[in-house]
Amino acid sequence: MNIAVLIKMVPDTESRLEIVDGKVKEDGFKYMVNPYDEFAVEQAVQFKEAVGGKVTLISLFSDNTSIDTDLRKMMAIGADEAIVLRQQEYSGNKPSSNAKILSETIKELNADLIMCGVQGIDYYQAATGPMVAHFLEIPHVSGVTNLELNGDKLTASRQIEGGLQIIETPTPVLITCQKDMTKVRFPALKDIMMSKRKPFDNRDVSSESGDDVQTTECSLPPARGGGVILEGEGPEEKVDKLIEKLKMEAKVL
Amino acid sequence: MDPFHNYDIFGYSIEWYWILLVWTVIALGSHFYQVGFVVRLIRLGKDDNRFNSWKQRLTEFLTDWLLQRKVVQDKLAGYAHALIFWGFLLLVSDVVDLGTGGFLQEILKTVNLDGIWNLIVDIGYAMATVGILFALYRRLIIRPEKLKGSSIEGPLILLAILGIVLTAFIVEAGNMIGEETKYNSWEPIGVLFAKQMEGMDNLGSIVDISYWVHMILIGGFLIEIPQTKHSHLIGTVPNVMFQDHNSMGTMIPMQTDENDIAVKTDDLDFDNLTLGVNKFTDFTWRQLSDGWACTACARCQDVCPAYNSGKTLNPMQIVMDVKDYGREHGSLLLAGKEPEETMVDRFTPDAIWACTTCYACVEACPVHIEHVPKLTDTRRHLVMEASDFPEELQNLFNNLERNSNPWGLGAHTRADWAEGLDLKVGEPAEYLFFVGCAGSFDDRNKKVSRATAKLLKEAGVDFSILGEMETCNGDPARRAGNEFLFQMMAETNVETLNSIGRQMTLKVITACPHCFHTIGKEYEKYGGKYEVYHHSQVLNKLRQEGKLKIRDFEDKVTFHDPCYLGRIGGETEAPRGALGGDLIEMERHGTNSFCCGGGGARVWMEEDADKRVNEIRAKEASKTGADCVAVGCPFCMTMMSDGLKSIGDDKQVKDISEIMLENLEAET
Repeated sequence: MNIAVLIKMVPDTESRLEIVDGKVKEDGFKYMVNPYDEFAVEQAVQFKEAVGGKVTLISLFSDNTSIDTDLRKMMAIGADEAIVLRQQEYSGNKPSSNAKILSETIKELNADLIMCGVQGIDYYQAATGPMVAHFLEIPHVSGVTNLELNGDKLTASRQIEGGLQIIETPTPVLITCQKDMTKVRFPALKDIMMSKRKPFDNRDVSSESGDDVQTTECSLPPARGGGVILEGEGPEEKVDKLIEKLKMEAKVL
Repeated sequence: MDPFHNYDIFGYSIEWYWILLVWTVIALGSHFYQVGFVVRLIRLGKDDNRFNSWKQRLTEFLTDWLLQRKVVQDKLAGYAHALIFWGFLLLVSDVVDLGTGGFLQEILKTVNLDGIWNLIVDIGYAMATVGILFALYRRLIIRPEKLKGSSIEGPLILLAILGIVLTAFIVEAGNMIGEETKYNSWEPIGVLFAKQMEGMDNLGSIVDISYWVHMILIGGFLIEIPQTKHSHLIGTVPNVMFQDHNSMGTMIPMQTDENDIAVKTDDLDFDNLTLGVNKFTDFTWRQLSDGWACTACARCQDVCPAYNSGKTLNPMQIVMDVKDYGREHGSLLLAGKEPEETMVDRFTPDAIWACTTCYACVEACPVHIEHVPKLTDTRRHLVMEASDFPEELQNLFNNLERNSNPWGLGAHTRADWAEGLDLKVGEPAEYLFFVGCAGSFDDRNKKVSRATAKLLKEAGVDFSILGEMETCNGDPARRAGNEFLFQMMAETNVETLNSIGRQMTLKVITACPHCFHTIGKEYEKYGGKYEVYHHSQVLNKLRQEGKLKIRDFEDKVTFHDPCYLGRIGGETEAPRGALGGDLIEMERHGTNSFCCGGGGARVWMEEDADKRVNEIRAKEASKTGADCVAVGCPFCMTMMSDGLKSIGDDKQVKDISEIMLENLEAET
């Protein structure tokens, strides 16, 4: 089975987040593999281990930040090769443009299955995956929590309001993976080192404009005021003060 | 009257020496065959070149082996052992004399040394007797808790060597009694025996039987030695002679070059590198020899925080495990085959992960057994080869990789603790204050960093911090078996520190004993040699020089020595000097301090609620009746605070620097 897995590099959640002139300041970011994509890699490798085939990682990212170490870790899980599309004006906020470029590369691979995370934890649009499916003109199942391979058919489960939806689909198909689809293994150091030898293809790609919406302004959530610690002799006085505040200031009593 | 005559065996009259020769060949043959087997097993281990610094090694051998330096630290057992040991060294030549029918004595007579030799041997037998009686008293009457489950082998062997000694006296005395009794005053104990035995009816048989019992016991002992803990009679020689000359607690790199410097992470030869230990033959020869030096004295067990808190780990068992594994799978191993069972199977993962790397076991061992590396080496295998380790550690490793601190908090917030203090960041200065992760990210320990910085400023010390350039020293990764991650962090830090200290030897201050140890003692192999001081050392010096005017504290304070400062770092004076005042010491303090439970990356792992190391230590602190527990390590701070809370004691836990700051005399 030939599987392509899309990897998005997203800012580390602990990166410093600053807004300058209504735009996110990105130059101080450290990047990591989008955690949802890790489930996709693990599941793809499990399929490969079960029925054979090849797992190819594809990532679209800016051309000035090294992501070798992060991708090598994904390859150490068991992926066979990586293609990194380097783009000068890359932005994680352009799902349509990005999906278009990604789908062109995927077409070359003749993949039976394309997998990616349900969404990127940068802009949370959950759009790139389905859009890739659209450009490839294949079906997609999004937000899959469990995926099984039976012959050449896939059975996917999705959590929906109040229940579980089970979908059976032929290949080729695109699946976006929800949290906890499977347990991602921690690759052994030796595998990480050995993955240095796996093919790692950096390609320059041009910017492409898609039908993406424009962000007009970004802002940080308003800073929360600090809490107040009530002083007083003993618990009774403190409780009295609390009741007073709940009545007068919070007006909830 | 002597036993050196013909014996009637099945009707044949046979000279005594033929009988003895047969027995000697059997006993020595068996002995050397078995020793050879053990030697071949140990030689399966990897290289570890300790054949250097011979002068130092000889001195250590004389003090630790001959003078029993560490053995006698346990008074009763220690001196009992020393008496038996010294006694047997004095008397051992007697076996040659008895075995040759007095030939040795004849030779000595020609140079007039027979008298003094007889006296020395007699004293040896006497010392051994006293030692054996004390040891029997301890084993059979006192019966310390740790001996209750032990095998009957101990007392049996003591009785056997008592037999060797007593029969020697009888033979010696028999020698004096003849047609004309001649007391040899060079053999005072022999004379005592002779006086009792004189005139006995069947004296000849008594002497004969004693002689043969003596020889049978010695031969039997030779056969037994390689099979049991008495292998320590031989095993301690290489063990003490080739003790570790690295500073305590210093771990070895994955791969080193010809100058003994670690090979850079990018150049590691992963095709030919075994990471950590899972096979018997992955250990170095010196790790393998430990088991045969072990006497099962259980001092390591007594001081082990994991064992004493009810975990699976018993350091003595780990040492025995290596030996037993070698014995059980010996023929397979020597044939170059691999047994199905691995070293990890034998140790069990639970035991491997329970170690706090506090080195109390290594410190307690009289014969320089190295318990901790066996555990950290198997951790390396579990993490780097098998990827099979406690789940919590995965978070730790990810956090260290991404944000270079164990909490995974934003690396850019590292210097937030220093807000408003107006400190130099990354600028040249006399000292570099390496704050460490706890002092940078943990709220309680940030206060310690602030107190330390304030004191340094107060004393006019020129120092700077690294700010965002600082990363974890790598200790948690290293002790948790992720040597590769450790090395990456070490390389990053060495690069930063070297770029700052290019013009001079960098003087580093840190309030964390783990930074103190790792940067000061372990970075050398990664190209970084620095003068590293624990903050208590610098603060103590400033106080003694009068640059910090601090009143002696008035509260009742006890001090908990951190393992990596006291026992491993060898510094127990500076924290006490810096604190000033009269401390109420806990029973276990200084180099004998008991771990808080946080070392060896244990602070990042789960611990069963009913098996907490920190509660044991908190109880010890509580017993002192002090109002405040002083600490000198951010992880001791956390573990001791939690421990006291869970035993319901509201004692405060404060860092040395905080107590100093509280007692700082205001400038007048």
